Amino acid sequence: MNFLPVAAAAAENAARAFGLESAEALRLGLAVEEYFAYLCRFAGREEPLRLTLSRGGTFVRAGFRFRAGAVSLRALNFAARIDIEDEGAGELGLIVASRTTDRSSLELSGADVYQLSAEVDRKYPLGEPIAAAQRLTPPLRVEDAPGPGLLQHCALLAAGRYAPRLCPRSFRRPGRFVDMAASGQYRALAVLDAADRPAGLFCWRASGRRGVAFSGPYVFCDPAEAALAAETARLLTERFLSLVARSEVVCAFSERPTPDLPRGWFERLGTLAMPDLAEDGAGSLAPQPAYVRHLREDVGGAVWASPDLTDFLRREYDRLAFSRDLLPAAPAPQATLPEHSLLATTLDRVRGLVVLRPLLDGRDFADNLAAHVTALYEAVEGAPLAILLHLDLAQPWQAALSPALAANGFAPRLVLPHGGTSDILVCQHAAAHS
Amino acid sequence: MPLPIAELVPEYIRAFEPYTPSRPDPELMRQFGVDHLHRLNNNENALGPPPLACKVIREFEAQRSAVYPSGDSFFLRKALAERFGKEPDRFLVGNGSCEVIASVIKAFCEKGDNIVTADKTFAVYEWVAEFSGFAARLIPLKNYAYDPDGMLAAMDAHTKILFVCNPNNPTGTWWDRDTMERFLRGVDGRAIVVVDEAYREYVEDERFPDGMELMERHKNVVVFRTFSKMYALAGLRVGYVCGQQEAIDYIRRTHIVYSVNALGQPAAAAALLDDAGHIAATRRMVAAAKALLLPAFDALGLRHVAGEGNFVMVETPVSDSLVYRQLMRRGVMVRTMTGFRFPNWIRVSLVQEPVMREFVAAFGAVVAAARAEDAAL
Repeated sequence: MNFLPVAAAAAENAARAFGLESAEALRLGLAVEEYFAYLCRFAGREEPLRLTLSRGGTFVRAGFRFRAGAVSLRALNFAARIDIEDEGAGELGLIVASRTTDRSSLELSGADVYQLSAEVDRKYPLGEPIAAAQRLTPPLRVEDAPGPGLLQHCALLAAGRYAPRLCPRSFRRPGRFVDMAASGQYRALAVLDAADRPAGLFCWRASGRRGVAFSGPYVFCDPAEAALAAETARLLTERFLSLVARSEVVCAFSERPTPDLPRGWFERLGTLAMPDLAEDGAGSLAPQPAYVRHLREDVGGAVWASPDLTDFLRREYDRLAFSRDLLPAAPAPQATLPEHSLLATTLDRVRGLVVLRPLLDGRDFADNLAAHVTALYEAVEGAPLAILLHLDLAQPWQAALSPALAANGFAPRLVLPHGGTSDILVCQHAAAHS
Repeated sequence: MPLPIAELVPEYIRAFEPYTPSRPDPELMRQFGVDHLHRLNNNENALGPPPLACKVIREFEAQRSAVYPSGDSFFLRKALAERFGKEPDRFLVGNGSCEVIASVIKAFCEKGDNIVTADKTFAVYEWVAEFSGFAARLIPLKNYAYDPDGMLAAMDAHTKILFVCNPNNPTGTWWDRDTMERFLRGVDGRAIVVVDEAYREYVEDERFPDGMELMERHKNVVVFRTFSKMYALAGLRVGYVCGQQEAIDYIRRTHIVYSVNALGQPAAAAALLDDAGHIAATRRMVAAAKALLLPAFDALGLRHVAGEGNFVMVETPVSDSLVYRQLMRRGVMVRTMTGFRFPNWIRVSLVQEPVMREFVAAFGAVVAAARAEDAAL
């Protein structure tokens, strides 16, 4: 606890040094102070608490690595309730900390070891989307490493031609997109015409340890030039796959697939209802197809499945021609479970998207999940919100949670092959707010 | 609290993707629910080894397994020397050619160095260089073939090795003598040129350059060959490198000894003694398979690339990894080409006619189903 002022000051100073303005730096300093105080008091005391401050290109991150020890982690749930009468528990501080950041997330980093990340974003000016169609001259060529000027221009061209839900929000703040590309948060490809005018853009980011999530392809030529548009999309897609093919990536998932995605290159996984938001946050949920491209030769495997999921999984695996043995997953006897469960919550307020991941099973799982749903809808104050829950089917206890999910309004939507330790089952909450 | 293991690992290893070999046949057959599996994925010679090699394998005595093999493949190097008219010390034998690739890179590259090769070729040159911490400069193919001018232009003072896969895997394209000579003159002895001739025994064209002869005029040339392809000893893992004495002496310093097993060494030596009939029969099988497959691909309206070697590539109308899974459900295993940077292509090994006919039927069904599904969307 003696180091609390040091940690908070270090976070604030580092945030300024890493490019945050004063208000944002203060927010990060406050979050670090609250998290640090809580973890010092409640995390495993026999182990060091490690704080890392780093610049992520467009944000500054404070990362805590700690061993949980015997202390309950329930207060790290997004939906943890605050007991005003028991201020000493420190949970109010946690809630404050998570609310002052732009993103907070909790991940298991080993047996009983957790990584808590708090991120605050830099601010960027809005750009003006460019709606005018491009007159382009073949031949086209791929630019593997587009420079900042070209990236900014491409982002505004895409923002001018595609619906907001099909574009990363950073396209409207192209300086942010450029910084994301420079820092590796995004990788991007461009296609240029004979006069080096931008004809198309494709971008992707890491998604888990062995996946990438792509957005695009974005095509800028005159809509009447169908052949040129198809050629642009093909060049971008083929080059993207060539670049990721010999990397650690096993699967490429669509994050924002555009209608220009060439047919025959990806497999359709299913459909999710995703927020289609305007700049002011207004909008509704709209269906968005999800695609996958497996980059390896699948050798089959085994996944755990609760009996109520068996039909869905068999149908999906058969449709996708993935060979999987389904192993029956049964819930653990209540008496053997700890009292409290823990869910990792990644809330992206800008996109209106939540991804929940079970970290610890507990007797209160169903109630905890229900509390999360309520708290999340409250947090966005009526704005459209997609709540997804990922079950890693390599974990029998996660697969066995399926009935609790169904009881809370979640339905299986699609399977992400190799999306986690094994395949990931994506469930979506039947939205009350749309 | 201990450090995460990842923090103990160099960045170039963390970024490197380990190769995942396919599972054994019985396990794959169980997974995919089939009662047979035709392996058309690794360019193995389905005829099996030449007769004398088979005899050596059959007569191998179990007691010999208790004794270490020759640490430097003494008799096999002697057999190779007699075959090619060179000194035995100009050969190094390894556990497949992958091992000799690593030996050559370790011998010549140090921090800051690079290698030059093609972007769409046998991946092991690139992999070994990168997990050893050396940059791999990858030059795009031109018309599916290595681009000699592009490779020369990519050279700099830190380029230590240029890898040329001749014929190229997976396109089967190859440089003729004139192209190779012009390239070697361009290199002008500034770097080692590895000519990987894993598939050279499949080539009948007289214009094909013989690496064993090239190295006598270009001291910087070393040649890789293998017993895994034409000689059908892939399961015993025997490959070798040959070059000028000085180059081989340096490579020997980094080369692992005792890595070639006691059965592989005599089987490979025996294979050299009666290979004429075996090579002719294999070439006939490959030619017949090509004559069957290429018109079938044409009939399906699919592009294909068929050069020299016991394989062909064909473009697929849907993801190659999907085609792979669909074919596995029909008992046929092919190689997806996304990992070779040819997304939506597969490579098919050329084997006996009945299996080729089964492949054509299965592939045709998969393509038809994919097209029907696409039309329904």
